[in-house]
Amino acid sequence: MFRLFPILIVLCFVSPIAGMAKVVDESEIDQQVREVAKMLRCTVCQTENIWESNAPLAHQMREAIRERVMQGQSAEEIQAYFHSRYGNYIMMEPPKQGINWLIWLAPFLLLFGGGALLWREVKGWVTKTPAPQPLPTLDQTSRRRIERELHENQ
Amino acid sequence: MTRTTQITILVVLFALLALFYQGLWGDPRHIPPVLVDTPAPVFKGPDVESGELLSSERYKGKVIVVNFWASWCQECKVEHENLLRLYDEFKDHPEFVMLGINYQDEIPKARAYLQRYGSSFPHMQDVKGALAIDFGVYGVPETFVIDKQGIIRHKWIGPIVDNVYANLTQNVLTPLLQRADTQVRPYDPTT
Repeated sequence: MFRLFPILIVLCFVSPIAGMAKVVDESEIDQQVREVAKMLRCTVCQTENIWESNAPLAHQMREAIRERVMQGQSAEEIQAYFHSRYGNYIMMEPPKQGINWLIWLAPFLLLFGGGALLWREVKGWVTKTPAPQPLPTLDQTSRRRIERELHENQ
Repeated sequence: MTRTTQITILVVLFALLALFYQGLWGDPRHIPPVLVDTPAPVFKGPDVESGELLSSERYKGKVIVVNFWASWCQECKVEHENLLRLYDEFKDHPEFVMLGINYQDEIPKARAYLQRYGSSFPHMQDVKGALAIDFGVYGVPETFVIDKQGIIRHKWIGPIVDNVYANLTQNVLTPLLQRADTQVRPYDPTT
């Protein structure tokens, strides 16, 4: 019995650590599932991702993601699988390729185009505004009259 | 503002209007099926009624109609009679196979459904819906037609009724069954 005592002591310390290790793994899997699920659209919902949706299909998809994460597949591999089944529609962010570039670049192009147009128009207004005419210089008679009137008022 | 600038702005505005038009007046239910013309997923699972193992391997070299359904699905009830009619119409063709996939259902309810509405072709269980995801299914009912080479040639979302039935039988199934190329093209369905 006394020979087993050291082994029991070791087991007392090791068992909880083994349990904790499992918990850490589970949370990592949950985190990976959440990351992937947030990138994928629930195909039967309105602009909702798989992670946030309560639809049965979204639930199945979360389970499918979890199974693939546990098989050791990367986020990219899992996304590629869903993309191969449902196409671009399932991606919350349209992939940066082909016609999709229009979606990504259009806001910046419109902003740049609008800005350039505005700058050009404003510049046109500025150049078309006539420069102020120089004031006519006072002749000697007028100057003397003004000085006299100012002197009288003081 | 020069004439060129005005024309450019007009062209951009018309292009945007065309995009909006396409987005607003298009059919929102139409989602391009990406799996058509690609190899069908491999499948394996127990028969709903007998429990016997069914697999895609068994149906190689045949034209397969795969129909996803569930006992809780109202539209599946609408099309069920047509599915039985479809099977009756083509069952004597040696290269025709029809398979129902029972999607996310309880087996007793699925069996009761088949007893009530009739069953003439096998139905495979897909309780977790994993096979449905492999097939890119959005909901039930959905029907796929797989050719003799194992390539998905047709997909229909919704019940097989009226014109859909006519189109499926006349324009999809009949030509595929009449095609002489029975040689199975090797492919890797896992990719």
